[in-house]
Amino acid sequence: MKSKSVLGCLVLSVCLMFGFNTALAEEGITDTEIHIGQWGPQTGPAAAWGSVARGTGAYFQMINAKGGINGRKIVYHMFDDAYNPAKTKAGVKELQEGTGIFAWACGVGTSPGLAVIDYLTEREIPWIGPAAGSLHWITPPRKHLFPVYPLYYNEAKALIRYAVKEMGKTKIAIVYQNDEYGKNGLRGAREELVTHGLNTVVEMPVELKDTDMKSHVMQLRKSGADMVLLWTSVSHAVRIVGTSRAMQFTPQFMSTSTCSDFPLMMHISKGLWEGVICATFGELPDADDPLMKMYKKEAFDAFAAKDERWGLFYYAGILFVEPMVEAMKRCGKDLTRDRLVAELEKLRDFKGIGPKISFKPFDPNDPSSRQGGSQTFLIQCLKDGKAKKLTDWMDI
Amino acid sequence: MKMKRNYYEDVQMFTSGVVLFWFLTLLTGLFLLPLVVKNYYVYVANYMAINVIVVLGLNLLVGYTGQISLGHAGFFAIGAYGTLMLMVKLHLPFIVALPLAALITAGFGFLLGLPALRLEGPYLAIATLGFGLTITQVIGRLEIFGGREGLHAPDLTIGSWRLDTDIEFYYLLMVITISLALAARNIVKTRVGRAFIAIRDADIAAQTIGVNVVLYKTLAFAVSAFYAGIAGGLYAFVLRFIEPEIFTLMMSIMFLAMCVVGGVGSMMGAITGACLLSWMDLQLRNILNLPYIGAWLESISKTYFSITGVSNIQFIVFGLIMILIMTLEPLGLFGLWIRVKKYWKTWPF
Repeated sequence: MKSKSVLGCLVLSVCLMFGFNTALAEEGITDTEIHIGQWGPQTGPAAAWGSVARGTGAYFQMINAKGGINGRKIVYHMFDDAYNPAKTKAGVKELQEGTGIFAWACGVGTSPGLAVIDYLTEREIPWIGPAAGSLHWITPPRKHLFPVYPLYYNEAKALIRYAVKEMGKTKIAIVYQNDEYGKNGLRGAREELVTHGLNTVVEMPVELKDTDMKSHVMQLRKSGADMVLLWTSVSHAVRIVGTSRAMQFTPQFMSTSTCSDFPLMMHISKGLWEGVICATFGELPDADDPLMKMYKKEAFDAFAAKDERWGLFYYAGILFVEPMVEAMKRCGKDLTRDRLVAELEKLRDFKGIGPKISFKPFDPNDPSSRQGGSQTFLIQCLKDGKAKKLTDWMDI
Repeated sequence: MKMKRNYYEDVQMFTSGVVLFWFLTLLTGLFLLPLVVKNYYVYVANYMAINVIVVLGLNLLVGYTGQISLGHAGFFAIGAYGTLMLMVKLHLPFIVALPLAALITAGFGFLLGLPALRLEGPYLAIATLGFGLTITQVIGRLEIFGGREGLHAPDLTIGSWRLDTDIEFYYLLMVITISLALAARNIVKTRVGRAFIAIRDADIAAQTIGVNVVLYKTLAFAVSAFYAGIAGGLYAFVLRFIEPEIFTLMMSIMFLAMCVVGGVGSMMGAITGACLLSWMDLQLRNILNLPYIGAWLESISKTYFSITGVSNIQFIVFGLIMILIMTLEPLGLFGLWIRVKKYWKTWPF
């Protein structure tokens, strides 16, 4: 009797060990499925950016409809974190440890991302295209994290270069949000101005909770600036333009990609955004680009919900994961995390609907080995919310 | 019927062997929990434990002293920032930095207690609300606190023990949470707690019989802030990253909601309320995976709501549950428990 139970225990433990071993095959990958996760605020203060995650979803549905990636379908796990880092971390852990996620895509916001960056890095889980242009992603660079979003620093340089060289502006002021986002813009602007032998005429910080812009605009007007660079949130940018108009101060306004969704900006500003020049990182919604047309037709028209808008944030969700999908395709049938990283590192001037993307073999001392995009181009807002392309893709 | 015969019977920690037995069972259960559940649930348990600590403190203030605070996210933030700053800038070890930061928080609690001496009800709510909002603004504007870029938590070590995993952190948290829960119970059962309750029930009467209202009201704020400070310091290590925008007004409101849903003026209410609401906060989005109900909710959301409807549904359900609990039992979860207990004791009558 006793020997039987010992035998039983042995069989059981062998089974357990065997079960354990098979579970060690690549996490999130089966013969027919690839599990990809993403967080994105669908509620709360940043809900407007939630369309990024929905855009990625439609794109994956399009890929699945075409037969998937090398015979595997993408199973997309998206969850709402309401821009609350505690929830982001909870959701990521739950999906990672419950379902098993192969790789993470995008993810809106610097602070939700920073709550999970260590968790993903320690477990060597690839994370491609965080949807925020933060320097945190590449300081220090991490082997499994591949940012695609161009740096605000580069956008600021491009805008200043255009203002000085093409428009002949010399008195340049900058209004920046007093955080990492704004300061990156400020740094880029300053550095570019120095190369042209110029300086800013005034630099003005704005706090997130500031509401009255009159004193800011007063100072801008007093400085006699003929170009004002707005490195703020959408609502502040609109308020500054509105207050300036009311105070009859009409310089050329320029702003970042965050404010380059023109139909949205025209709607919020009630038409005042007309004439503003912005840097942007994705093709225009109505661009004559074959890829854009295909995505519009086969992803957006086919799979988007009825109230969805084909706007920058929505197709940014496609743009940020294009390199990931391309690398997974190149991996062939033998898809593992190591191979995905290796294939991503081999991307050179990969062109989707965004800037050219290049990564290099991992070097912990070289941020550019992980910063994918450095190109941007400039657009100007027209009366009907359409955009006029001022430049082609600029290499900064 | 069993009668209490002396003072010590009234203040003793465990009123009967049954209570002690269940307490020990609970302790064993908590000890074994990480060994049987998935790591993710350990994280959830950690999140719950932190909320339990805050709500225990808040309950001392709201439930026992009859004051109100809509600014506890502010104390929470001071605790979190204080702990990290003491560790990073002054290189203090964690076990020194955490209580020290909590003491600093208690100092702020004392300061906020001063206006509370002259303010009541809605006026006090607004004063504390202002405090909560101001703190994050101040922290956000000071470069030394990392500004809006926030702070990263250093590695967590106690002596030579390095706490890397959620499970290790869980055990640390449980020790702290249980000690603080026992401490809170002790406060309530003794002189200080009786003074709190006297102030809550009638502060003029309390003063007449010799309770120092100035001392005990400010003390209630300080103790409550101390709890929030400890919880904040621990929260910084749950997230491993903090920035001012995390400590929102919504957070203060959630703390208060946990306190009220659980049942004001009861230890068990504070604990169950905090556990239930943090659980719902993290888990309610899975409501769509439930059989039948999930599909039904999704179809409602698709027909009547905008594109983000599915995720808004969870907040509607959240609100509904809170309304239901409060309507059915104004004393919250604790009230429900009392009813069940009464029913059980008097059965079959």
